[in-house]
Amino acid sequence: MMIIMKPGASQVEIEHVLEEIKVNGLTPHLSVGEDHTVIGAIGDTHAVETAVFEVLDGVESVIRISQPYKLASRQFHPKNSVFPLDGFSVGGNEIAIIAGPCSVESREQLLETAWAVKAAGAQALRGGVFKPRTSPYTFQGLGEEGLELVAEARQVTGLPVVVEITSITQLDMMVKYVDVLQVGARNMQNFALLSAIGKTQTPVLLKRGMSATIEELLMASEYILSGGNQRVILCERGIRTFETATRNTTDINAIPVLKSLTHLPVILDPSHSTGHADYVGAVARAAIAAGADGLIIEVHPDPAHALSDGRQSLKPEKFVELVKQIHLIAEVMGRKLAPVPTTQAA
Amino acid sequence: MLIIMHPGASQEQVANVIAAIERQNLTSHLIQGVEQTVIGAVGDSHAVGKEVFEILPGVAGVTRISQPYKLASRQFHPLDSVFPLDGFSVGGEEIAIIAGPCSVESRSQVLEIAQAIREAGANALRGGVFKPRTSPYVFQGLGEEGLEYLAEARELTGMPIVAEVMSVAQVELMVKYVDVLQIGARNMQNFSLLRAIGETRVPILLKRGMSATIEELLMASEYILAGGNPRVILCERGIRTFETATRNTTDINAIPVLKSLTHLPVILDPSHSTGLSEYVAAVAKAGVAAGADGLIIEVHNDPANALSDGRQSLTPEKFATLVRQVKLVAEAVDRHLAPVID
Repeated sequence: MMIIMKPGASQVEIEHVLEEIKVNGLTPHLSVGEDHTVIGAIGDTHAVETAVFEVLDGVESVIRISQPYKLASRQFHPKNSVFPLDGFSVGGNEIAIIAGPCSVESREQLLETAWAVKAAGAQALRGGVFKPRTSPYTFQGLGEEGLELVAEARQVTGLPVVVEITSITQLDMMVKYVDVLQVGARNMQNFALLSAIGKTQTPVLLKRGMSATIEELLMASEYILSGGNQRVILCERGIRTFETATRNTTDINAIPVLKSLTHLPVILDPSHSTGHADYVGAVARAAIAAGADGLIIEVHPDPAHALSDGRQSLKPEKFVELVKQIHLIAEVMGRKLAPVPTTQAA
Repeated sequence: MLIIMHPGASQEQVANVIAAIERQNLTSHLIQGVEQTVIGAVGDSHAVGKEVFEILPGVAGVTRISQPYKLASRQFHPLDSVFPLDGFSVGGEEIAIIAGPCSVESRSQVLEIAQAIREAGANALRGGVFKPRTSPYVFQGLGEEGLEYLAEARELTGMPIVAEVMSVAQVELMVKYVDVLQIGARNMQNFSLLRAIGETRVPILLKRGMSATIEELLMASEYILAGGNPRVILCERGIRTFETATRNTTDINAIPVLKSLTHLPVILDPSHSTGLSEYVAAVAKAGVAAGADGLIIEVHNDPANALSDGRQSLTPEKFATLVRQVKLVAEAVDRHLAPVID
């Protein structure tokens, strides 16, 4: 960390900063410039806040040099983390495609979608049962009844299931049913939830908050990793900008940036990042070309009558086409689609 | 256009709005709701501003249904516009790659880079001679001297030249030297400049402003098209967001959105949209995979000593690798790179 003193900071103020650096177990390094004195704080600073120094008299600003995250960092863990899931893996050479409805609406709807996405080449099934909807008056999800349906879909198709958790009180129940716990954008900084999930050993799909920086996403993953749960998949799902032509703005830069900063697998959600079924295919291809390890895509047998996210859901036929295109892009990237699970999940 | 009245708007206010609609040569269509009245203004409304109705008493809001642009619209011109340039074309099957230094710094620099990028597979040379720099104290470009060097590079390599015009006063000079006039992000809404280049017949590369919506970009292109210059290439170059890990945020959505809204060619500038050379190749591939018609990329023979944008410039070797990768992605989306000029 570099602590920049105000021009004309007193000797006493500088002494104070030097002391504070030592109190935090770091070594100070003083450089006196013409206008400004700059003090380096050398050592493992990932657990030291910049605020500790910012509040001291005579300090103009504090610049963090090393990353505030450690377990998520590629510096700490240079090789890609590869997690085996049922029948396939995430983060290695294989591209994983998770697909399914936004919400589990009925047994018929879920099973029909599950079989369709499996036939098209998806490796895992998504489906929400606790829905974080903007309006409290719209469909909120089927709850545990939905989990029973998800378990049945898993049983018959062999696809592992990815389901969003929206509250700590759902955790005990959810881990009994699901293969991957999803933390949605609105809960990316629900720190109590992140800490609780960190104590489970269930793989986690962590979505970027809609106004979270890449560093904040990595800090959120650090909450889970530091609890002892090593299997975190990061997901770019679009950020909030001034552009209104699309629901969100896909930050495609986040894919190569994350792949360079962290060893964790990185996937993209083009359904939420565009909000329009018409643009999902193009942005899905872009993600794989940019180096993403997978995709999560909303598919619905009847988007016009979906209880949520119909506008951004693909019909199974469109999803089949998308998988074919992704296959071609993956190949030129020297990668391949993960195999579709063939055996029934245990 | 839909004019939504306040709950409780008077009969007189509604009549007033209907009269205003008719004055604009539009037809009114009244929809009486339980709480609110909505009045449709039917007809060609692209040249009618919403403000005309927004200011009337009793009006709660005005929603535009049809697009405010016409000549740029795919509705108006369903087929892709394909522009032939020297030896290649933009907007068709071919993917065009424009490359070169941010700024023309010297004769030897621009000639060396021009030959290197041509060898790597670029179709056109970029190079700024009038530079819109954030600080007035840093290198501002070589001006006409730089144009002479670009002309020489064109002579030597056969590649057409793309250079940025910053002011109406430069237009006359620039059109003598360049094949494509670039309008940078900072001038996307310099309407007098847009009008001036609309009167030329030089193809235009129009960059999206850093806080401009897609619709505003299309409206800017409309200024040029309406002037009679039909050859406008649109360029996504990243927008300003809260993210600080990169210089800008590449709005990759803009590629398929623009391709669906307009017939004009759409290219991506991954150098500015990332600001960091290590991410340029990944985002360039993403651009072509998303359906972009081309790329514009900053290449410098010595990025560490570049007078501008060194941090986002590729070495000629890295650029050659990028072209090979983009070629594969282009083939995966059923397209191919434009042929390099002989």
